[in-house]
Amino acid sequence: MKKQRIWIVLSLLTLALLLAACAGQETGTLTFQANGEDFVRQGFETKDGWQVTFDQVLVTLDNVTAYQTDPPYDPLSGEAIEAQSEVALGGPYTVDLAQGGADAEPVLVGEVAGAPAGHYNALSWTMAPDASGDPLVMSGSAEKDGRVVHFTIDVDKDFAFTCGEYVGDMRKGVLAKDGSSDLEMTFHFDHIFGDAGMPANDDLNLGALGFDPFAAVAQGDVLNVTLSELQDALPAEDFQKLVDVLPTLGHVGEGHCHYAS
Amino acid sequence: MGQQEVGNQPRALKDRGRHASLISSTAALLALVLVLALGGTAAAHGANISYTSTVGVALAAAYDSGEPMAEAQVMIYAPNDLSTPWQTGTTDENGHYFFTPDPELPGTWDVQVRQAGHGQIIHIPLGEGAMPTSGGGGFSTMQIILMSACVIWGLAGTALYFSGRKS
Repeated sequence: MKKQRIWIVLSLLTLALLLAACAGQETGTLTFQANGEDFVRQGFETKDGWQVTFDQVLVTLDNVTAYQTDPPYDPLSGEAIEAQSEVALGGPYTVDLAQGGADAEPVLVGEVAGAPAGHYNALSWTMAPDASGDPLVMSGSAEKDGRVVHFTIDVDKDFAFTCGEYVGDMRKGVLAKDGSSDLEMTFHFDHIFGDAGMPANDDLNLGALGFDPFAAVAQGDVLNVTLSELQDALPAEDFQKLVDVLPTLGHVGEGHCHYAS
Repeated sequence: MGQQEVGNQPRALKDRGRHASLISSTAALLALVLVLALGGTAAAHGANISYTSTVGVALAAAYDSGEPMAEAQVMIYAPNDLSTPWQTGTTDENGHYFFTPDPELPGTWDVQVRQAGHGQIIHIPLGEGAMPTSGGGGFSTMQIILMSACVIWGLAGTALYFSGRKS
């Protein structure tokens, strides 16, 4: 009987400690967003003079995870993230980066309530095919010298991005107790098509494919193609350029990512 | 899975091909600032020289190409407030910027420099007992309590189990 009492007392004590531990943790709400920037929302002129507008840019994001790292994670190191705390949004989530008007806000992917307070200075996610389709599908139209090409480019390829801290006009990821903060997965589509607003010899444009190679393989004024099909359709040099540049789409604002593909 | 690293790509494939770099070797430079106050009028022959020594940070921001990030936006965050810039400014024509941190705020100072879509943030530990920029170092008090409770529960339960078998 005495032993039973001891057992009950110990159990209650432990339960009280567990509740105290849970109640004492400082938490807030962490929001995850995806942003295709004005290039996607407003359209732009490619390095080779095509005016591109997007109807849809679907990205499928998975394994979305935010981290508190100290020392801060350096994506250029190529090393794995060593985090003191991490919050998983999970996935997959398929979002349209072109949704909304020209001045639309970044797209909400999801949020996690009860995230430990602190500074989330690293972010990772993957992109892989799922039931909803391939990880990246761009559709829209491109116009140059009176010719209009309606395109759907389906990128059937996996990606994994491991990024450091968001770099932009305001700081993100600082989560206070009972507060909220946001993180952003940013995609730089000018890396694929180039940007007429930049000098032709800018490294961005030198690395970009432009739209001419896509227009060249269109069937009349329609291009409906997958990345796998482009391997046969495009000249080898152009295809390699496309394959090389695709993984560089992923950023955190202007901050860089390490990627695996 | 083929690993590729941004830093190892051909330059043309990097973010806009010339992502910003802050030259860390100079970032934590301890600088002795001499304030020379040359006094007197043009007709006078006397000179007054005074100085103040302090610890400062000299930044040098450049693109991969080596081109300085001239007139770039600088945002400095002190260790005690990660959200609000402690100081903002712009680099000079050579991509240089100098600031004197508050010695009352030891820890990691975060500095972001960006211009026209290029940017980078670096982390500079300063002062004694540099504090981490992000929370969560080691175990919190509540985590320790939680772990202790689990250990106590496990030991007590084991002891009671065996004592119960003997009786």
